[in-house]
Amino acid sequence: MSQQHPDVPFAVTLDVGSSLANLTGTWRTERPVYVDRLPPCNHACPAGENIQAWLAYAEEGDYEAAWREAMRDNPLPAIMGRACYHPCEGACNRSPLDDAVNIHAVERFLGDQAIEKGWVPAAGAAPTGKKVLVIGAGPSGLSAAYHLRRLGHAVTIREAGPVPGGMMRFGIPAYRLPREIVQAEIDRILAMGVDLDLNHKVEDIQAEMKDGGFDACFLAIGAHLAKRVDIPTPDAGKILDAIGVLREMDTSENPPLLGRRVVVYGGGNTAIDMARTAKRLGAEEAIIVYRRTREMMPAHDFEVEEALAEGVILNWLTTIKEIDDSGSFVVEKMALNDEGWPEPTGEFDTIEADSLVLALGQNVDTGFIAKVPGVEIDKDGVIQVGPDMMTGFEGLFAGGDMVPSERTITVAVGHGKKAARHIDAWLGGARHEPPPRHELAGMDKLNTWYYADAPKAVQPALDVVRRQTSFDEIHRGLDETNALYEARRCLSCGNCFECDNCYGVCPDNSVIKLGPGKRFEFNYDYCKGCGICAAECPCGAIEMVPENI
Amino acid sequence: MLEQIEGSHAVAKAIALSRPEVICAYPITPQTHIVERCAELIRVGAIRNCEFINVESEFAALSVAIGSSAAGARTYTATASQGLLFMAEAVYNAAGLGLPIVMTIGNRAIGAPINIWNDHSDSMALRDAGWIQLHAETNQEAADLHIQAFKLAERLSAPVMVCMDGFILTHAYERVEIPTQDQVDAFLPPYRPRQILDPSDPYSIGAMVGPEAFMEVRYLAHDKLLQALGVIPEIQKEFEDIFGRDSGGLFHSYRMEDAKTVVVTMGSLAGTVKDLVDDLHKDGARIGVISLCSYRPFPLDGLRYALRGASKVIVLEKSLAPGFGGVLASDVRMALQGVDTHVHTVIAGLGGRPITRKSLARMFARAERGELKDPHFLDLDLDIVRREIDNQRGQITAGPIAENILREIGPCTPKAV
Ligand SMILES: Cc1cc2nc3c(=O)[nH]c(=O)nc-3n(C[C@H](O)[C@H](O)[C@H](O)COP(=O)(O)OP(=O)(O)OC[C@H]3O[C@@H](n4cnc5c(N)ncnc54)[C@H](O)[C@@H]3O)c2cc1C
Ligand code: SF4
Ligand code: SF4
Repeated sequence: MSQQHPDVPFAVTLDVGSSLANLTGTWRTERPVYVDRLPPCNHACPAGENIQAWLAYAEEGDYEAAWREAMRDNPLPAIMGRACYHPCEGACNRSPLDDAVNIHAVERFLGDQAIEKGWVPAAGAAPTGKKVLVIGAGPSGLSAAYHLRRLGHAVTIREAGPVPGGMMRFGIPAYRLPREIVQAEIDRILAMGVDLDLNHKVEDIQAEMKDGGFDACFLAIGAHLAKRVDIPTPDAGKILDAIGVLREMDTSENPPLLGRRVVVYGGGNTAIDMARTAKRLGAEEAIIVYRRTREMMPAHDFEVEEALAEGVILNWLTTIKEIDDSGSFVVEKMALNDEGWPEPTGEFDTIEADSLVLALGQNVDTGFIAKVPGVEIDKDGVIQVGPDMMTGFEGLFAGGDMVPSERTITVAVGHGKKAARHIDAWLGGARHEPPPRHELAGMDKLNTWYYADAPKAVQPALDVVRRQTSFDEIHRGLDETNALYEARRCLSCGNCFECDNCYGVCPDNSVIKLGPGKRFEFNYDYCKGCGICAAECPCGAIEMVPENI
Repeated sequence: MLEQIEGSHAVAKAIALSRPEVICAYPITPQTHIVERCAELIRVGAIRNCEFINVESEFAALSVAIGSSAAGARTYTATASQGLLFMAEAVYNAAGLGLPIVMTIGNRAIGAPINIWNDHSDSMALRDAGWIQLHAETNQEAADLHIQAFKLAERLSAPVMVCMDGFILTHAYERVEIPTQDQVDAFLPPYRPRQILDPSDPYSIGAMVGPEAFMEVRYLAHDKLLQALGVIPEIQKEFEDIFGRDSGGLFHSYRMEDAKTVVVTMGSLAGTVKDLVDDLHKDGARIGVISLCSYRPFPLDGLRYALRGASKVIVLEKSLAPGFGGVLASDVRMALQGVDTHVHTVIAGLGGRPITRKSLARMFARAERGELKDPHFLDLDLDIVRREIDNQRGQITAGPIAENILREIGPCTPKAV
């Protein structure tokens, strides 16, 4: 040194030195570790979608990659983006900040893009030579068929109805779920080489399996038998059931005749859909009669609101006793007792109406299933399955509305996926062990200071007059700009999105950047475990783990 | 050009004329007007090729200054009071690294209790950090000393503090001769760093040095400041040649010819003392005044020589070493080691307490009569102090002294300075 710089101060200017010889990492009592935590949206999704991962692709504008990520779990994104009740958004960490990410709108955008652009799923595994029978072409059966096909199995679906889709056609009205969307996503599954036999009602499962040489069977026949109550009436033709009416909407040439004043009896989503359908069919009045209070209605609040906006009338705390000889509906007022349950008051009234549509729920047609040895039917009339979705009969699996669970298309799709994985394992003589779940990335794991305010993008909706008179879809989709914006609102809970915060704040330069998409690594030789990176990571992707000392 | 100008603004103009390249400071009363004006001058383009760096604290201010100076830029900063204490670690580092940073101190008391007015406790607290410390007597001298400070700092590779009394100088409007750019350019050559941190020719500065070399490093720092004792008068002379003014140097002597009693003081107080001494001379008193400009390095030999004829020395200072006495006074005593001259310590003006001619005259008279207690606290309210001391002896749990004193003298609105 002194030769290079002859006149530098003694012992103040020194050779190029480095403190790298001091491995300060040894001082550490805790180490930061990069982790992937489970975003609450993923956690809440009954189809097990990796929402945060596909939002991350969408955020980059790579919609096809986003769609493919979604398709790993759910073969029906365009449908789901419309009809799913999106529990993901209810769990979204963004809610307390401004508003949940409009996840379903982005999913719908991706699904529609795929249909428009004709994207097809990647080729599946090599053929296994195994044959699986799927009974029922509802969302659960379709989902199972898709996943089984991707796993290399030959799949045949047998469907009792004239069209595939299950309740996606026979239940959910077209103004919420346009039929061409349903058909397009089903066609894409069939194009993967799934056989579909329509108008084929299975009556004897064991015989069909044997005759067709099937190695396993997934049963997903839904719950289609309308529940009824006994209402004395001189004219039985006046009483219909909602499931039957809604099914006719899709399967018969002529729309069902309900008259000018229609009473719908029940308080669930089906009752709401029925009343709104009646309105659209020309009823001047569609009246929902429900025996409990509005708050107790199982229907989703937003659907009730939409129905009210369309002019549907709600009559709660009321029961229908009979239809008298003059054709009037005799109703009795109810009141909540001390425990909050409705009780008759003895106060009667009459309603004039042309028809009564029952929307009191559905039962599973268990008749032919009961014949299969080992299958258990519980007291609610649903089929018992194990954690692997298998019934008491070896090789017979079941899912969707016919097994005990919430009845939604999302649960049905999730069951289809889960069953497919277990069937695949079972066919290979193994057991499918789902990977352990990551720790939940709750609000407490986030450093929300880093996120800018961004109000949610709202989907345009049809005006009320058009809604009352047509079956046109009510909600329109996002366009490319607001879909991108919406995807960018995602906080990336629990998963590094390469914001560089840790890289920037580390006082010991111990965060090593591995390059775009490759995230980061810690240099534990120098990381002193101060934890600043973990504190300043916006999304909770760094965990402090105690050292063994 | 002669201007009627606030002290802070005169200093800012002097800084501007010195062509700094980096100014980095954190505002603190009473220094604020200086750095605000510097920032303004940069913004309007009156200081070219200069960057004003905003920082979050005094510690950062001097740390940035260290960085920029080490990278070869002429660097200026300013602070006061608690701000100086907050940057203390960096103050030592700047000196240890031999970086020619110039820093203004708007001298102010140190809390607690908090006090924004003038005394010398702040720069005194860091007198041993290895910086050259110059004290200005007037605003003219404050402006001039800054121009000299860059030259001094760069010639010696040592940082320089220019201390000016808070409010009394910083906020006072006075006539100040602002030099021209040509004059300053003729006096102060562009900065030629002794070494520059340069990534293409790397080396370390200030890294770990063990016991085998540390003593030598410190000795060299001491020696450097002793060299400054020679360089300061040289620069004073060079300055006078170009600007035609006697500014700076080690100390100023006033009416010392036949003085028997000599008042040694520092900073703006010298003006008041000189006026009084003029009056007293009319009555035949033989009092001289020495006002120190260079407190560090301390001109031991110069003072000893200057004080050779005095029979009584009164050190009038705005600092106190609790449990010991005067700070400046003990340095003066060191200069008079072995000489039988009585050195009185008079502590005055702490926390901005006005120092009036009347009080000074009374104190001089007592000194003349041989009645001055040592140390003497000018205008100390003995009643309050006695009561408080009694109180403390009575009940140890009495509240903090300062608050009790305030209670004694009633609600206190310190007069604006
Ligand atoms: C009016 C209405 C609105 C709804 N709205 C929503 C909504 O907005 N969002 C939501 O998530 N969920 C909604 N649901 C619930 C959702 O539709 C169901 O949970 C879902 O469709 C269940 O899927 P699945 O595959 O189990 O059964 P299904 O969809 O019922 O499909 C079963 C299929 O099996 C066929 N099948 C039956 N028996 C046999 C047999 N023996 N042999 C061969 N095939 C047979 C049926 O014809 C049918 O096609 C709604 C339901 C209704 C009734
Ligand atoms: S912010 Fe994103 S990752 Fe977090 S819950 Fe909402 S959608 Fe999921
Ligand atoms: S701070 Fe940013 S870059 Fe670092 S782990 Fe968290 S999200 Fe990833």
